[in-house]
Order: sequence, then structure tokens, then C-alpha cells
Amino acid sequence: MARLTGTGLVADDLYLMSHHEVTGRPYLHHRAIGVGLAGALLAELVLAGSIRIWPEGVAPAGRSLPAGELARSVLALVVSERRRVPDWLAFLARSAERDVARRLEHEKYLTLAGSRRPWRTGRWVPVDPDCAFAPLFRAQAALDPGKPVTVAGATLAGLATACGLGSRLLPYGPKGARRWLDETVRQLAPDLRELIAQTQAATDSLLLSQRV
Amino acid sequence: MSKVQSQRTRPSHVSRALAADRLGIPAVLFFVLAGVAPLTVAAGVIPTAYQTTGLTGIPAAFIAVALILAIFAVGYVAMTRHITNSGAFYAFISKGLGRVAGVAAALMALLSYSCLQVGLYGAFGPGAAAEAQAHLGLHAAWWVWALGAWALIAVLGLLRVDITGWVLGVLLTAEILVILAETVSGLVHAPGGHIGFGTLSPADLTSAGLGTFGVLAVVAVLGFVGFEQAPVLAEEARNARRTIPLATYLALGVIAVVYAGASWAMAVHAGQSHVVAVAAKEGPGLLFGLGGGFLSATAQLLFLTSLFAAALAFHNVVWRYMYALGRENVLPAALGRTGANNIPKTASLVQSATGLVVICAYAVAGWQPMSQLFFWLGTTGGFGILVLLALTAVAVLAFFGRDSHGEGAWCRLIAPALAAILLTLIVVLAVLNYPTLLGVGKGDPAAWEFPASYAVVGIVGLGWGVLLKLRRPEVYATIGLGAHAATGQLASAVDEVRR
Repeated sequence: MARLTGTGLVADDLYLMSHHEVTGRPYLHHRAIGVGLAGALLAELVLAGSIRIWPEGVAPAGRSLPAGELARSVLALVVSERRRVPDWLAFLARSAERDVARRLEHEKYLTLAGSRRPWRTGRWVPVDPDCAFAPLFRAQAALDPGKPVTVAGATLAGLATACGLGSRLLPYGPKGARRWLDETVRQLAPDLRELIAQTQAATDSLLLSQRV
Repeated sequence: MSKVQSQRTRPSHVSRALAADRLGIPAVLFFVLAGVAPLTVAAGVIPTAYQTTGLTGIPAAFIAVALILAIFAVGYVAMTRHITNSGAFYAFISKGLGRVAGVAAALMALLSYSCLQVGLYGAFGPGAAAEAQAHLGLHAAWWVWALGAWALIAVLGLLRVDITGWVLGVLLTAEILVILAETVSGLVHAPGGHIGFGTLSPADLTSAGLGTFGVLAVVAVLGFVGFEQAPVLAEEARNARRTIPLATYLALGVIAVVYAGASWAMAVHAGQSHVVAVAAKEGPGLLFGLGGGFLSATAQLLFLTSLFAAALAFHNVVWRYMYALGRENVLPAALGRTGANNIPKTASLVQSATGLVVICAYAVAGWQPMSQLFFWLGTTGGFGILVLLALTAVAVLAFFGRDSHGEGAWCRLIAPALAAILLTLIVVLAVLNYPTLLGVGKGDPAAWEFPASYAVVGIVGLGWGVLLKLRRPEVYATIGLGAHAATGQLASAVDEVRR
């Protein structure tokens, strides 16, 4: 059953933020959403203490296993071979939107609505618009020096801005929100900062090579 | 043993999936050619160049410039393999000649592409006005139609890029087919069946002295603008070492054949000694007159869509440049921010505002749109690209001079040196003969104002680069990184903390 507190997973919150809370329509190009969600899936593993991220790549951090089938399959994948973060972002981005939507569907946050046009596939639509809008408030805390912010909330806000959701998020913050967000992200652990920077670079690369 | 080896060398599931998502030669070639808008050059630039310069060696110039650019491309694509943000001249210049020079080059590139973009309204306005008057009985000034195109481009520039990419693709295919049909028709119906090769002769490149070549080269380089974009897809290419060079050379070959063929057919059809006079009288009709009624009507319609597509393509190039520079904080950071659908709205709106100001200025002053807006700004944009090509060739030499990066002498030394010498020579000749290029008298202020604008922008850029170096070292450290500015800024911040 959907709750206002959400699933507690960064990728789930980012998915809901990047789609309209009523219609389920995306706010960004699908490739950009994919890159953002790929970053969020890796961030979940960092937050769970399962992996470390370096400028050169991804490395297993210990024995702690993340909760959930999707996170465990991503973990098994990224520790199976040595690759740079941009490669993992590109690879995971291919299916991240669908994978996270299925996870949210399983948790009853989304439902697959059929299309009236037979040649088009259906669209995932939020079950409860309030629950779908709530992640925006969790990320909003990172924009306001007067509010307590969690590491997950700061990571969510950083990744959202990196993949192009800044114009959706920042209007909900006070004056100077962008500067405070930058400051909040600067205080994150080095591997989360690296991940956010790599996600931003991957999105910019898509934009400058006309792929979004 | 062979089985074990094949298992070891077999690409992993991840590698195969990543490779499948990458671009092959046709996709990269299509990307490059989609930004070229061939009818804009064939029906717009070539007849106006015949008319304005009074020179007939344009077909030979396309072939000569293609060969020079092919030599240039050897070092250019070789350096692509060793830098990030390839595809932008200023990134090459930053790496080769230093970041201060890179900032100057970035501002010069912005001016060049902006001139190319805005100049296109000067051809679209009169073209649309003439078509509307002939077929719809509508009478409106050129600038009304130019403003209409401007408004549409301003809106499309704020929409998703894949929609405009698809439209550009359809137009490109139709344009190339029509130009080829016009060319064949013009040669088949040559007056008296006589096909002369004079305009293809190298002798025509220096018909009025060596300076002629500088003028012709600026005109010809206009046709090739866009070929430099292939390396921007290096990170997306299936095999960057093979895909990018092949796509670049193929694009140069296709462009050279199409434009040299079309301009040659125009000279054959009108007669080499009459082509300048006929171009002055008929303008774009010099190309349209090569084919029959249906072909001519189709070409006229496509000419307008081509101009529009070119203006849109260059609009996108300009905002991408602004976006990259905004991300690096070389220009205001607002230019490096995106809105819905990942479009940098501020950068797009700034270029739209530039277009609006220029169209209004020309309309109020009553300046001639085809020669003084389209051709003057177009050739000035082309001149800027030539300057950037020359600087990039020198940058390639400097880059490989410090470290060969495992490249052979041809790629890192001989070809870039040859390209640098030839391109610098062309730049010097073009500056000395700018009055001929614009079709004005030697004392006309326009003849020095346009080339001098690059010197002014270059000096401002150098000054800004020095200021960034002294006052904002963290910004200075990421100049030229483009999409990788985010990771560069992070690395720079980490270094600062460590210090």
C-alpha cells in the first residue's frame, strides 16, 4: 500500500519526481531519466554500504547485502566485472526506468494503465498523487538551510538536479536554494559526490551529442 | 586451447549491450550531414557567391577545400581519441594552446555560429516573400517572413531535439536528391551540348591572383560547416577509432561531390563567361533553372525548408556551445541549466533574442537582406570557422608536440603542419581580399569591420581567460571539458581541499 513516507529508496523517489503525479507523463527525455535512475540505483547500493565508488570505477564495500531483488541484481552485476562509472550508468540506464517502475508497481505506488491506442504500450500511473508528489518534499529539505536533511534526501536532490530536474525542484526552495543545494551535496561522502558528478556528466554528454 | 581463448576474448553481456546501443558509421554520417542543409548552399550561397565575388572558380574551390579539410581531419580525429568534449573547436584549442586561448576560441566560435544562424533569415525572408507573392498573392516585406521563421525557430528550439532531428533528416534526403537531379538535368541540357570543365580547373582558383583562392575558400568552407561535428559523437560511437574518421571523410566526400557538381552544372548551363551575370539576374533561380517545371518548383519549396532547417540546426549548435560554456562557468551559469525535457531554455532564448535584434535592425535600416544579411554574415561566419580550423590545426600540432600519445608522424606532425600552413595562408588571403568577398569597394568599412570583429572577440576572450586564471582557478581548471565539467569541478574541489 502506498504511503506518504515512500519506500525509502532513492531510485523510487527519483522515478516519482521525474513523472507527473497524476498522469505519469515524464518531465524529461527517457534517456535522461534512465541515466538519473541508473545513478540512483548505484546510490542505493552506496547508502546500503554494499559498494564504494571511485573516479576509476565501482568496488564492493563489504558483506552487507541491500534489501530488494532489483538492488541485489544490480549489486551482482556491478561487482561481476570491473568498469568505469559512466559505463555502468549507460548500461543500467537502458532498463532502469522500466525496472524501477516495476518495483514501484509491486509496492502499489504505480499501476500500469492501458493505452486507448492499440499500437501504443500502456503507461505507469501513480496510484495516489499525494504519495507521488511527496518525494519532492523529501528532496526539498536539501534546498533549505533551515530544514534537517538526510543523506538520502541530499543524494536524491543532487541526482535530480544532475539529470535535469533542477527546474522542477528548485522553485520549491527558498531564495538561494541552488547555492545551498551545492553546499549540501559538497558535504556528502566522496563516493556519492562522485556519483552525482558522473550522472551530471552523463546527462550533459547526452545533451551535447544530441541524444536527448 | 582455442576454445578457452575464445571464451576469454568474448565480450561480456555488458559490453555487447553497450555496443548495441552505440552509433555506427551511417548514424554518425547522417548526424553530420543533417546539420549541413545542402540546398541552402546550392541555391543560396553558390549563386550569391558567383554574383558578389564575380569569380567562377567555385566548383574547383569545393574540391580544393575538401582536400585541405581531409588533411586537417587526420590530426583532428587523431586528437579526438585523446581528449574529452571532442567536437568543439575550443576544447581542442584549450588542450593544445592553453585554456586562455581556449576561452578566446570559444567566444569566436559563438560569434561564427551565431553569424551563420542569423544570416539565414536574410535568405529565408526574401525567398518566402517571393513564393507567397507568386503562389498565394500575399504581399509582405521580407522581414515579416523572416520574423515568422524566427518565431517558429524560437519555439522549436525550446522543444525536444529528437523531433527536430527527425524533420532535419527527411529534409536532408529530399534536398540531396533534388540537387543531384538538378545537376544531372543541367549537364544533360547544356547549351549546344557542350560541357566545359573550366570552372573545375585548378587554374580558376587563382584567376585574379593568389588572393582569389582566399575568397573562394571562405565561400567553399561555408558548405563544409558541420563536418567538424562528427567527433562530438566519439563517446557514443561503436568504434570511435574507425567510426569517427570514416564518417568525417565520407561527409567531406559527399559534400564536395554535391556542391562541386551543382556549382559546375550551373556554370555549364549558364556558360562560364555568363554565369556571374546570370547569377546576378536570377539569384537562387540559377539552380532552379537547371531542371524542369516540377523539379524547379520542388527545389524552390525545399530551398525555403532547407534555409529553415539550417537556421534551426545552427540555433541548436549555438545553444549547445552556450550550454557547455555555462556548465564550465566560463559564461554565466544560467546558460548551463536545463528546463523541462532537458532543454537549456536560457541559452536557446539568448540566441533567439540575438536573431530578433538583427532582423529588426536590418528591417529598420532598410539594408539589403540577401547580400548584406545572408551573404555578408554567412561568409563572416565561414571566415570565423576558417580561423578556428587554422587555430585547431596549430593546437593539434602543439598537443602532439608535448606527447605523441602513440600516434604516427603523419597523424601528429605532417598532416597537422600541412593543414596549419594551408589554412593560415587562406585566412591571410581572405583578410587581404575581404572587399572582394563582400563585393564592396576597398575603402568600405564593412571590409575591415567584419574580420576585425573576430580580433575584438578574441582579445576579450584572452582577457577573460586571464581573469579566470587569476581570480577563479577552479573555473579555469575545467575550461574545455564540456560535458565532463561536472567531474572536473569535483576533482578540482578535491584538489583544493587536499592543498
